[in-house]
This record gives sequence, C-alpha cells and structure tokens, in this order.
Amino acid sequence: MLRTAVAGLRAHRLRLLLTSLAIMLGVGFIAGTFVLNDTIQAGFSQRVTADAGKVDVAVLPKDPDGVLSEKIVERIRAVEGVTEAQGLIREPAPLVGKDGKVVGSVPTTAVSIVRGPLDRTAIVSGSGPGTDDQAAVLDENTAKAQKFQIGDTITVLDGKQAEHRFKLVGLLDPGVDQQLAYTGVVGFTTATAQRMTGAKGYREIDVAGQAAGLKQAVAAAAGGGAVVKTGDELAADLADAAGFEMRTLTVGLLMFGAVAMMVAALVIYNTFGILVAQRTREMALLRCIGATRGQVFGSIVLESVVVGLVASAFGLVIGYGLAALALAVLGAFDVQLPTDAAVTLAPATIAIGLAVGLVVTVCAALLPARSATRVRPVAALRTQVAEQTYRTGVMRWVFAVLFLLAGMGTTGFGVWGMPPGEPPTLIVVMAGGALTFLAVLILGPVLVKPLSAAVGWIPARLFGVPGRLAVDNSARNPTRAATTTVALTIGVTLMTLISVLSASTRVTVWTKLDEQFPVDYMLATQGREGGVPRSVAEGLRGKPELASVLQVRKTPTKVDGRSYDIGTYRGAVTPEVVSGAMAGLSAGEVALLDYAAKELGVTVGDTVRARTDLAGTVPLRVVAVLNGTNSTLPALTVGEQPFDTYFDRLPDSVVMINIRDGVPAEQTRAMVEAAIAAHPTVQLASSTEIRGQFDETLDMLFMIITGLLGLAILISLLGIANTLSLSVHERTRESALLRALGLTRPQLRRMLSIEALVLGLIGALVGVVLGGVFGWAAVMAMLDGAVLSVPVPQIVLFVVLSGAAGVLAAVLPARRAARASIVGALATG
Amino acid sequence: MTLTQAPPAVVATNLTKVYGHGDAEVHALRGVNVTFATGAFTAIMGPSGSGKSTLMHCLAGLDTATSGTVHIGDVELTGLTDRQLTLLRRERIGFVFQAFNLLPTLTAEQNIRLPLDISARQADQVLLDRVIDTVGLRDRLAHRPTELSGGQQQRVAMARALISKPQVIFADEPTGNLDSRSGAEILSFLRTSVRELGQTIVMVTHDPVAAAYADRVVFLRDGELITEIAAPTPQSVLDTLVKLEA
Ligand SMILES: Nc1ncnc2c1ncn2[C@@H]1O[C@H](COP(=O)(O)OP(=O)(O)O)[C@@H](O)[C@H]1O
Ligand SMILES: [Mg+2]
Repeated sequence: MLRTAVAGLRAHRLRLLLTSLAIMLGVGFIAGTFVLNDTIQAGFSQRVTADAGKVDVAVLPKDPDGVLSEKIVERIRAVEGVTEAQGLIREPAPLVGKDGKVVGSVPTTAVSIVRGPLDRTAIVSGSGPGTDDQAAVLDENTAKAQKFQIGDTITVLDGKQAEHRFKLVGLLDPGVDQQLAYTGVVGFTTATAQRMTGAKGYREIDVAGQAAGLKQAVAAAAGGGAVVKTGDELAADLADAAGFEMRTLTVGLLMFGAVAMMVAALVIYNTFGILVAQRTREMALLRCIGATRGQVFGSIVLESVVVGLVASAFGLVIGYGLAALALAVLGAFDVQLPTDAAVTLAPATIAIGLAVGLVVTVCAALLPARSATRVRPVAALRTQVAEQTYRTGVMRWVFAVLFLLAGMGTTGFGVWGMPPGEPPTLIVVMAGGALTFLAVLILGPVLVKPLSAAVGWIPARLFGVPGRLAVDNSARNPTRAATTTVALTIGVTLMTLISVLSASTRVTVWTKLDEQFPVDYMLATQGREGGVPRSVAEGLRGKPELASVLQVRKTPTKVDGRSYDIGTYRGAVTPEVVSGAMAGLSAGEVALLDYAAKELGVTVGDTVRARTDLAGTVPLRVVAVLNGTNSTLPALTVGEQPFDTYFDRLPDSVVMINIRDGVPAEQTRAMVEAAIAAHPTVQLASSTEIRGQFDETLDMLFMIITGLLGLAILISLLGIANTLSLSVHERTRESALLRALGLTRPQLRRMLSIEALVLGLIGALVGVVLGGVFGWAAVMAMLDGAVLSVPVPQIVLFVVLSGAAGVLAAVLPARRAARASIVGALATG
Repeated sequence: MTLTQAPPAVVATNLTKVYGHGDAEVHALRGVNVTFATGAFTAIMGPSGSGKSTLMHCLAGLDTATSGTVHIGDVELTGLTDRQLTLLRRERIGFVFQAFNLLPTLTAEQNIRLPLDISARQADQVLLDRVIDTVGLRDRLAHRPTELSGGQQQRVAMARALISKPQVIFADEPTGNLDSRSGAEILSFLRTSVRELGQTIVMVTHDPVAAAYADRVVFLRDGELITEIAAPTPQSVLDTLVKLEA
C-alpha cells in the first residue's frame, strides 16, 4: 500500500502542488507569527536582562499610583550589605516644542538619571546630565520629531507651568518601556527632576548590594507600602509588560492564520475529493486484485500525511522567511520594537507548524478517503464515468434550515436583545454568524445551480457556445463547485464585514463628533489639566471673523455626597431643556443634566447642596433639567457670577470657537494661534484635524486587516485554480471533441475563464451578502447609537476583483487545456 | 468504382506520418495516395495498428502530416494555422467517433445543434427535421447522453455530423462499441445519407460487415495503401483481408 500511495503522489504531484501551496502559505503565516513574536520577546528580554544585572533588589510602591519617600531610601541605605540605593523619579513635565506649544497630547515624562553602578539609562549619543542641573537629555524619537539636536536649548514646564530652559546634552533610548516610548522622555539630574515635577517621592528604588537575605532585609526596611523584587524578577516583569502588546498582536495574527488554514482545509478537501473521484477505476482495480477497504483508505490517508508533512516543512521555511522580512521592514521603519535579536525557529514553532499542517491536511482528506473505500470492484470494468447527478437529501435541508434558524435567531438576539458595545454581545452575534455560515456550507451544493444560472446569465448570452458551456460546467458538479466557492466566500465575507464595520464606525464617530464637537476650533490644555486663561477667550470674543466664542469652566465637586462636575459658561449655548427653563441663572439657581437629576432624585423646584471652595456648602435650587447626551455643559451649571463666588476665578476648561461663514480657515486659525501663543500648554484642536487623524487610523487598520485577509483569499484562489485544472484534466476528451467540432483555442480558453469567473462571482456574491448582514449585526453589537453605512463601491469592487481573480486563476489551466493535442486527447481511454 | 462528375471531396498525396524520434520512431503512414469522391461512401480497412486512425486524423485536419498534402475540396491543409484548420473543420467536416461523441451537459438536441452554434449559424429547419426523423430521435431530443443507449448516442452524433452539411464526414469505428443490431442501424443511416442527401462519408473500420456497407473499400497495411475494392460484400472484404495478412 505504501508503494501505491507513493506512486499516487508521483502521478499527481503537479495537482498536489497547488494543494501543498495552500498548506504552505497557511503554515508559513502561523509559523511566521510565532517566529516574529519569539524574536521580539527575545529582544525585550535581552534588553531588560542587561539592565537588571545592575540592580540586585528593586523596591516599588504597592499602590501603582503611589510613591516611596526619601526616608525609605535612607532606611534602605542603612541596611547591612547594601552598597548603594537610588530613588527614581518619574513624573509628567511637558516639553515645549519649537512652535512654542507643549509636545503631544499627553505631557512628556521627566525621569531622574542617577549616576554610578545603578545607572540604567541607555544614552545613545552625547552624555547624561551628570551633575549638571542645567542639562537635560531627550529620547531619540522625541528629539527627532521635534528636530532638537544635542547642544540646543530646550524648554520644559514645571508643575506651575513656568518655563525652564536646559541644555540638551544627550539622547537616550527609552528601551522596552512602552509607556515612556509613548509619552516621550526628558531626563534630568535627580535634583532637577525633583524641582521640575514637584515629585513627592520615588516611583522605584534600586538597590545594589551583596548579602544573603538582602531582599528580605530591604523589604523589612521598606515597610508595608512597598513591593520588593530581585533584579531578575524585575527584568522578567518588565519584559512581560513590554511584550504584552506583541502577545496581543500575536493572538490577533493567529486568528488570521486560523482563517487561512480553514480555507486551506477546504481546498485540500476538494482536491482529495476530486483526485479520488478521478481514480475510481484505479481504486476499483486495487479492490479487484484483493486490496481491503482499509488498505484503500490507508493509502489515501498516507498520501495526505506525506503531503501535509512536506507542505508544512516548506511552510516553516516560508514562515521563517516571512518573519525575517517583517523584522527587516519593521527595523527599517524605526518601529519601537526590538528587531535585532537572532531570528530562530524555536522547537515549539516547528512542532506547532508541523502539527497544524499535518492535522488540517489529514482531517480534510478523511472524508474523501472514506468515499474511496465505497468504490466497488466492478467500477473497474465500467468504461465511462457516470456524470454526477446531485440530489438534495431531506436531511441536508433539515440541517440547513436548523442551522439557519439557530444562526439568525442567535444573531437577532444579540442585536436586539443585548446591550450594544459589550463583548458578550459581539460574541453572541459572531456565534450566530458562524451558525449561519454552516447553514450556507450545507446548502452550498443546492445554491450553486441557481446561482450559476443567475450569475452566468450575461456571459452565457454574450459569449455564445463557450459561454453557455462554461456556465453549465460551473454547476456541473455542485459539491465540488460549492466547496471551491465557499473557500472564497470566507475571505470575501470577512472583507465585506470589515468594510461595513469600518465605514459604519467612521460615520458613527463623525456623527458623534458633530454632536460633541459642534465647533470649528476647541482650545484646551494638554491632558485637560490646568486651564485656558480667561484672557484668551476675552481677546477673541468680538472679533468680526468669529461667529461665536463659548467658554466653559468646570471643576469637580461633591453634591449630596456624589461626585460631579460643577461649572458655568460664558457665550451662547443652546442646551436641550427637558423641563424647567434656563433663562439666565441667578445666584442660588442650578441647571442639572438629566442623568445627574435622576441619580440625585431631584426635579425642577428641588434643592441640591454643592460643596464649594469659597462659600462652603451652598444650597442650589434646580430651575432646569437638560438633556445630558453629548452636552458641552457640566453636570451642574450655575450662573457665571455666582460660580466666581463659589470658586476662586477658575480659568476656562475649554473654549469653543465657531468661524463666521465665508471667512477663510487659515486666517482665523492664524488669529487663534496668535491668541494662545503665550500659553504653551493651551492646545488648539480643529474638528477637521480630529476627523482626519481618526480617518487615518481607521484607514490604516482597514488596510492591515484587508492585507491579512488577502492571504485567505489567495489560498482560495489557489483552490479555484486547482479545481479548474483537475476539471480540465477530467474533461480532456470533451475539450478535444469541442476542438474537433471547430471550437478554436481562444474559445476553449475563454470557456474556462468564464467558468472561473462564474465560480468567483458566486463565491463573492454569497460572501458579500453574508458579510453585509453580519457587518450590520456587528455594527449594531459593537457601537452604541450606531449609524449603518454600506460602502457600496468598495463592495462592488470586491465582487469585481473576485471575478477577475477567478479569471486569473484560470489562466494556467486554460492554457493547458488549449494546448492539448486533439488526437492525443481523443486517444486517451 | 463509382464515377462522378464532381471534383473529389478529399485528396491525399504522398502522405507520411512519423511519430517519435530515433529508436522510438514509428512510421504510421508511408506515402499514402488516395482520393475520396464526392457523394461516395468509402471505408478504410486494415489490421489494428495499420495507420487507419492516423490517416483519418491527417485527412480531417486534426493532426498534421509529416509530409505530403491533403486537399479538402479546393483547400490545401498543408501550412494552415491551427485557427484556419479549426475553422475548416467547423465549416466543412463532420465527425463521428467510436466513443465519447457527445457533451454530457447538453441535451440530444443541443448536441445536434452544437456545430451550428459554434459557428453561429442558423439551423436549416427543414434539414434539421429531416435529419432528426432519419435517425429517429424525435422523442429523445430533450434527453441527456447518459439517458441514451449507445446506439442512440451514435445516432445523435450522426445527426450532429449531418446538420452542418459538411463537405465530408469522417467516422472512426462508429460501430465499434455497439451491438450488431444498433451497428447495422447506424451503418444503414450512413448509407442512406450518402444515397439521399448526397453526403460524402469516409469511415474507418476493421469489421468486414461494416465495410461492406460502403461503395468502396481501401486497404491499409503498415502505413501503406495496399489495394482497394469497389462494391464490396462482407465476403470479398474478408477475402481481401486474408490475402493481405498472408
Ligand atoms: N501518438 C502516437 N505516438 C506514437 N505512435 C503512435 C501514435 N499514434 C499512433 N501511433 C502508432 O502509429 C501506428 C498506427 O496507429 P493507428 O493509426 O492508431 O492504427 P489503427 O487505427 O489502424 O489501429 C501504430 O503503430 C501506433 O502504435
Ligand atoms: Mg484506430
């Protein structure tokens, strides 16, 4: 049997090649993901281990937001065996860019750079601040983005927003710390860091020393508010934290790998099914000369084992290459990931890759192998293979309807019966999607005929005999056609789903943005801390270019024991009044947002008591309840004058500006920028910019996901090419007959192209319908207040591209068919 | 020999065909000269491997000869491109093969009309009716090949060959897979279409009974035309064959 299996492989090696390619790509992607993850995690470990070698014990506050006082440092220094102990400061201190504005949407993090053996800072050029309190270092990326060079003077704001200047003496690498990489880092001497940030203590104390039980001794000295780790423990934790995102990404990538493998499984299933059908006579002959059913089954399974192993092995090589390529690309783009560790194919990766490839291949071949055992010995004696006549069994219908009902029911429940925006809802909706997909999978063979007739209507009329025959051929073997197209359907469904989801997210967010941000410009401080000086808005108010300037001030307070924002406004607002009236709020009056009114259990006419800074707790009579959805006003709004008597002339929290119609945007922008030029922390946001940034992120995400789904689509195209070439082989004599009767070579090629076109279109159409429905369901499940948007041109493009890709997949099989000699084909028995 | 005024339908001159190279060289045809008259029913006979099919393939433009010329009517096949040969087959030649004559996806009627559809010609309704009635398939038109018996399938193939009014029909062992009754039917139809429709038919066979339906039999052996007899009977064909093999 081994010999026949090997002979079978040899005889069909070309046809098995395409199948192997499907497995290779799938395994390659999965293995590549693992290699990428391993390499990057190894990079993280390498970096932190080098650092952690310097630290024998690290002390961290138990409360992640807490700090360790200088006293603790002194107590630790006194511990026997401790040679050195240094506290590390790590607090926000906004860096001011060359444009005079603070950098980024969150303040830069100031860190203290210690000297001596405990210095873990990686200075990549220049030097550290040493003992120079007027010197500072920046991380490379911030320096590059802000175009600062060593020797420049940089400006950093202290806790009171006062500007301080420093000489930039060096650049550092923030290493594996993702938080620092995100905010940017400015490094000072410990004293300067303390002065600039007003830090009340240290975020970490590093200890060097040699003594048995050092960790316990330090822990005793540090007291109960601290966590003590050895250097190795610290390194492990740091690497773990740094690698978290990469691990999440790995899981995400593996999901795409799983989709690819699923598609590959369908392709394999189909290939083996067709090969078995074509070898009916061979199987029957084996049975005639005494092979048992088990031996026939075994020979097919053995073939699949060999194919699975060989393809997976190549897949591992591809994966290794892919990972190396990805690392090179990431490295070239200066991504904040360590890409320099040695790329290795870990034993676990090899094991997983081989196992996945093997299991998928063998499982996919099991059903075809079983049908091979059903071949009866007499089949060897029949000359002509009977044309497949497909009948739909009752069971098929029953199962399909059951799955369909279950799928639709589950989805409907998720959409209408569960709160949107929560993970369980999405899971329920997607489970419904999976059930529905199973229904489609079961019904596939039934759907193929009517669909091919519908899709083929135009080609059949446009291309004469080749067109008509092609459409007939496409649905000739419904099971085969269904499996071939379903592979493509998977990819197209996911693509459509993602494109509906992304288009709807875009429109939903835009709508929300319009509601929440109904202005052209918004002024606020970095991270919403501090405030915009009142003079800014006052200076802008009354400018003829501006239609409106609205100032909103607010501060957190306690109202009847609950925490709310209380505030006031100056300028025109038109809040939606639910009850009462809001015409000028006088002293002792308050307007409440509806949710606050509900939580406090008050209505118009009732009184609430709010704590204030200057006037103690004041009673406020509710005169109006406002709609709180997307309100620009705080939970409690009082009159402008009363607010100043409650709180000490607070600055504006936000200033919202609308341009007068017809005034050029550049002109007003320049004016607004001039008004805030003297206030580095005040940042200008425009609705178009926010929208642009959001769009960019969404587009990027969409592109990446589409690219990753491309793999599944590519594999399904291999499937189409494979099915076609197997069909071409099967129909050799038919093609020869047509050629003898006067069908030209181009016509024969066209016939196969049209067949592929029809298959591609069927797969795409089913995918588009499924993707559209479940895209809608996913939108309803994921987004609260969702606005559905169906990107019709994009979806039409998917369909057109699928058809075109099908035609492309047919190129080689069609060439082979057209090249075949008529006489030779007529002779083949 | 039947003499006719019309020019011959097919003329082959010094036709040779060599398969393979070197040691594997097979001379399937060694300089065959033969003429097939218009409106005649000619049988090509010979032992297995004598080159009958090869000759037919070369005559019909399905294969190209190694040397020599073939004329179908006034067209010389030598030097025609694949496309020209295809169009020639489409317009001027009909085929009936031993097996696998029909497209399984098409009904009997669609199979009959196939040559017309391929060349986008309108069917001559009178001829169509006549052909369908001649082969007796009126009640089988909507059936697919798998639902037809072997004899019926061959009759569909014949109808298909007749429908495009080709200059010549080539039939390669058309009765090879049939029982003798169905075979006799097919052969009668072939003869009828020659007599009544004036069709030219060239049939390859190794069955003396089949050959006896023809007006003339040419004998091949080892790729050479050895002899021929006119107005054959099964006995005269058999006698000639025996003489050939001796
Ligand atoms: N494609 C081919 N390649 C090599 N030899 C061939 C090929 N086709 C036919 N032959 C050889 O040519 C000779 C004539 O074959 P063929 O015309 O089929 O004979 P017939 O039809 O009389 O049985 C035989 O010896 C056969 O083996
Ligand atoms: Mg022959």
